[in-house]
Amino acid sequence: MSNEKAVVPAPDITGDASKYEETHVHAIYDEIASHFSATRYKPWPIVKQFMSSLTPGSIGVDLGCGNGKYMNNPSSIRTIGMDRSRNLLEVAKLARQDGCDVILGDVMEMPWRAHAFDYAISIATIHHLATHSRRVKSVELLLKSLKPHGGRALIYVWAIEQDGASKRVIPTTDVPQYQASGIDVLVPWVHNVKPEASTESSPPVYKRYYHMFAKGELRSLVVEAAHALQLHVGESGESNRSQRGLQIIQDGWERSNYYIEATTWEKE
Amino acid sequence: MVRLITHNLLACHVRGCTTNNFPLAFKDVEIQLREAEFNQDFLRGFLPKLEWRALVDTAKSLNDQSLPDTPPAPEQMDTEFLKALHHVLLEIHVEEGAMVCANCGHVYPISNGIPNMLLQEHEL
Ligand SMILES: [Zn+2]
Repeated sequence: MSNEKAVVPAPDITGDASKYEETHVHAIYDEIASHFSATRYKPWPIVKQFMSSLTPGSIGVDLGCGNGKYMNNPSSIRTIGMDRSRNLLEVAKLARQDGCDVILGDVMEMPWRAHAFDYAISIATIHHLATHSRRVKSVELLLKSLKPHGGRALIYVWAIEQDGASKRVIPTTDVPQYQASGIDVLVPWVHNVKPEASTESSPPVYKRYYHMFAKGELRSLVVEAAHALQLHVGESGESNRSQRGLQIIQDGWERSNYYIEATTWEKE
Repeated sequence: MVRLITHNLLACHVRGCTTNNFPLAFKDVEIQLREAEFNQDFLRGFLPKLEWRALVDTAKSLNDQSLPDTPPAPEQMDTEFLKALHHVLLEIHVEEGAMVCANCGHVYPISNGIPNMLLQEHEL
């Protein structure tokens, strides 16, 4: 593996995090959209399971829908896709044969009625946000998008702990002091659009920013966001006096990613 | 694509714009009609979550008068009504134009069927 393809620690982010994301995330996805899309077709099992468990009549939002790989659902549910990359949205809107609704938007904003959705998924999205407080804020907005009772959330992020089969080499040993709160890295995307072409001019390499999550970090992020919204974290029941809350249904690790599923509740 | 299913969810989110920020008004629209897969279970399940008034008024603004002013009770939803609802929600595509906030006047442009809901930094 040449140095060009190695995952490297990201330099400390100084200045405006949203501008940093604009350069190190959004601009790159717009550039690589078609090539990227061709590599993203296999759904992850946990996401697939979640999508197939939704009640008919459900309306949901896919925050950071990319090429729309989770939007080709049965017609008994409908998913609205949001992404920062217009070029990926051009692909996503064709994910269903009869079309998908997509909107150009940012996970740091909430351009819809609060509590309008039955479900919200955030798959491989918030690990592109460059600060802890922005990641918390985005989860708050996700939770605020859900109906107060029975609204379902699924979040999926990249883990420091990588699958043995993963081709990535992660520089965790270089930066042990950051491991408890995750590590910030730049991940190269070799834009090899014409593999057959001559090797005289090497393909461009784009370095995307990722925050790789530490074990337990995603769960505490969700808890922090829930508390910011005055949601009790745990089961609904007589053991607490809260009126509204968030129950964590499952969380774990799957194929180099951490995931968490949670449901909102409100007492009558 | 912007169909009325999405339009019924979107609201202006400019900082401080919290009242009368829904529904957004369509302006200078270019429309295409395209068939979508009909699914009764979706329509019946989704109907209670709709902002009905906004849906009916917006459909009228696009010259579709097919929806009643109040939705029928679940047991009275006949095929004719469900087909009309299906058409309004899922078959009218706004491809070009804009959505305008009645409160603050913010314009959300629609191009190639994709609405741009991003705000400028000073609007956040
Ligand atoms: Zn407004």
